Amino acid sequence: MWSRLRKLWRNRQEEKTASPKREETLSSQLEANADRIKTEFGDSADIQIRRLRIGRDGQRHALLISIDGLIDKKYLTEAVLLPLVQTDIPTGSGVEVFQYLKEQMLAVAEVTETDRMARVLMALGGGDSVLFVQDVAKALIFDTKGWEQRGIEEPITESTIRGSKEGFVENIRTNTALLRRRIRSPRLRVEEYTIGRVSQTRIALVYVDGLAEERMVDEVRRRLEGIDVDAIQGSGHLEEYITDAPYSPFPVWMPTERPDRAAGALLEGRIVILIDGTPFQLVAPATFTMFLDTGEDYCSDYLIASLLRPLRFAAFVASLILPSVYVAIVTFHQEMLPTSLILSIASQREGVPLPTVFEALMMETIFEVMREAGVRLPRIVGTAISIIGALVLGEAAIRAELVSPIMAVVVAATGIASFSVPIYSFGIAPRMLRFVFLLLAGSLGLFGVIVGLFALHIHLVSLRSLGVPYFEPLAPLVVSDLKDSLIRAPWWSMDTRPRLVGEKSGSRRQRRHLRPGRFPTERREKER
Amino acid sequence: MRTDEEFTSNDLIQGHQLMALIFVSRLVPITVTFPSITGISVPQDGWIVMFISTLGAIPVVLWINWLAQAFPRRTIVEYSEILLGKIAGKALSLVFVFYLLLIAGITARQVGEAYTAAIMPETPILVFMGVIAFVAGNAAYNGVEVVGRVAETVFWIVLVVTVVVLTLPMNAMRFENLRPVLPGGLGIIVKETATSWIIFLEIIVSAMIVPFLTRPSDARRFSLLAVGGVGLVGMSFAAVLVAVFGVLTPTLTLPAFSLGRLISIGDFLERIEVIPMGIWTVSAGVKMSFFLWAGAVGLAQICGLRRYQPFVYPLCVLSVSLGVLLFDDVMEMERFSAPERSGICIMVIVLGFMTVLTLARLLRGNRTSGDGGEG
Repeated sequence: MWSRLRKLWRNRQEEKTASPKREETLSSQLEANADRIKTEFGDSADIQIRRLRIGRDGQRHALLISIDGLIDKKYLTEAVLLPLVQTDIPTGSGVEVFQYLKEQMLAVAEVTETDRMARVLMALGGGDSVLFVQDVAKALIFDTKGWEQRGIEEPITESTIRGSKEGFVENIRTNTALLRRRIRSPRLRVEEYTIGRVSQTRIALVYVDGLAEERMVDEVRRRLEGIDVDAIQGSGHLEEYITDAPYSPFPVWMPTERPDRAAGALLEGRIVILIDGTPFQLVAPATFTMFLDTGEDYCSDYLIASLLRPLRFAAFVASLILPSVYVAIVTFHQEMLPTSLILSIASQREGVPLPTVFEALMMETIFEVMREAGVRLPRIVGTAISIIGALVLGEAAIRAELVSPIMAVVVAATGIASFSVPIYSFGIAPRMLRFVFLLLAGSLGLFGVIVGLFALHIHLVSLRSLGVPYFEPLAPLVVSDLKDSLIRAPWWSMDTRPRLVGEKSGSRRQRRHLRPGRFPTERREKER
Repeated sequence: MRTDEEFTSNDLIQGHQLMALIFVSRLVPITVTFPSITGISVPQDGWIVMFISTLGAIPVVLWINWLAQAFPRRTIVEYSEILLGKIAGKALSLVFVFYLLLIAGITARQVGEAYTAAIMPETPILVFMGVIAFVAGNAAYNGVEVVGRVAETVFWIVLVVTVVVLTLPMNAMRFENLRPVLPGGLGIIVKETATSWIIFLEIIVSAMIVPFLTRPSDARRFSLLAVGGVGLVGMSFAAVLVAVFGVLTPTLTLPAFSLGRLISIGDFLERIEVIPMGIWTVSAGVKMSFFLWAGAVGLAQICGLRRYQPFVYPLCVLSVSLGVLLFDDVMEMERFSAPERSGICIMVIVLGFMTVLTLARLLRGNRTSGDGGEG
């Protein structure tokens, strides 16, 4: 009872500290409002307060407030300031003037009216400008956002040869526009949320009405509305609050930089979450095989895509278990290899003092350190690191007989295989699990590797992404969805949307029998 | 056409996943220890033994499903209480759960024996048994859905590897070894057939899973398909083994691995028995997870608990202990199901349980049918 009362009291206190101004109304005195805003922003240097006398006669006082760096100054001057000071404003009460300004005078696309201080503060933080008029306890908010931002560029982590060169940027509105340009239907829905008590991060829930399953959209809404934090700083940050598998190394929301990929997912009935301030947006439900796809698969020939996908899967498996299989075979199952090869390995390892498993652990650790250093250092120095790593360290370690040449080959092959995984966050899981597999192989041989794979498989089939089994369409087996899994069937044969994703009614995405060559033949037959 | 709920609903599996579970579970004793497990003396009779025991398993499958269809949303543990009353039902169910544990223990021991005998003789057997039991327990802990999905994936891999192992030693096969057929007549294979059939009785575990099927009516069809498939693979195995090893077949402790040892791919990859061994290990894991899950669910239902998960890991420990303590060596374990050893006991447990339930159902007649309809 006591703890409940204490909890209730704490919650009340938290509510009070979190939003003290929620019910606070504006004053009709300009300076009172200006002081309040200055106090709230702690006299920040970037707050711009412009005291004006509006109208040609300059009879009435007004106050224009904005935050430097977040606004388009030229636009503010032309659309707001010049009309305010150069145009005749009819005389009347403060409220009449306020209404005139709002409805007839200012050439701004988006103008809203408020009498709440909290709304004013939020608008200023978001890059809007606010106008107060003397003797009116209300304010006009203009959309004058305009800050320096990166232009639309080719995505760095998901580049393609034949696909679109556009990537998401940090601005959420640009990103919604990138999606709208690809899906012009009015059924594309964008629901905006502001999450983060301090950061006030804008987040958009995007889906196509009629294609996305309503239950799934409701579930995402529920998860987003349940987040009560100080700040959301990026897609990875948000993902941890809404994921289905908080303890898994495998991501169940797919991050993507590509608008075409996000649009493709939307058209399959999936849901996209756009986060302001990051080019990586989230897609769900995401399945295991989606993480092995690239944007290129859908715009290049289906035959090569169907060859490359199993290759990427093999690379994923290799990045996971190649060193451990080597360790297991060399340590426990030498009989599996032909005599000449085992003799060659033995001669290479002759002077190496470390057991194979430690040799592998050491090399893998060095490789990870080099990779980390390469990512963190400036690009010019990064090249030097690769030279030091590959030539100096690798060559010298082999010559010093600290590691065998074949181990260097195995570790290098594993590293290259790990780069073949298209989604970076998905490639992290095998990087971590590789060490676990190495320990299993070093202690239990191939039995350890096999049991490790069995345990991993159990984990993967137990995962879900927004309720959809992660390992679908392989387990549970959904035959119709195999067309876009480890292979990519021709577009004309993929006439249905994924079975377990999206609304069930109308799952057909195209007319049947669109195989090229079919129509002319039929027509010829009709003509005959 | 399946509904989408059938793919995604929690704690339910589909008919084909049940088939995969039975197939994979049943294949474990066949691929590793058949026909030596039956104590066969005339090797070329192996496939006939498998054929007859498969035929003999069909009535058992039909019988299990006849009982289950009266209570489509109840496990055998639950409807035994309805049919026999609380005390008798719980007592018999407890024996049944013990049988499930025993099979899980034997499977763990088979894994341990196979690795210590063929691959890593210096590692203590308890390590292999403990590790596989822990991982299988993890699958069982995650629920029947996960066990079903793992079985579904493993099924295809098992199928491919089985075909590879059966076809690649083609050069070494001498099909004249299969003759003469039944040189001693049917009389001399009665005991071997009985042993093989007793092993088939493990299929009673499916009586625990029927209510967890999206459509319980699928159980009979898919169980029969699984038994038929297993029979076919078993017969092929027996025939290929004799074609390759001839009269030496009964002397092989782990015939499937001996077969894998003959495979050489391009004179580079040799002695790849580790690959069938790996697949077989995973199959054994699936089988253990299936039996551990069934045992834990059964025990939870006997105790009247909603959650079965707290029982899973203790049952893992118990099954491994049983596997270690019951047999002195691999020969004793292999002959465990023979009628002169514990075979009769197993028959009494399985068939006795089913007979009592059948009699109770027939005697109580329509009075029980109302219970069956409940979900």
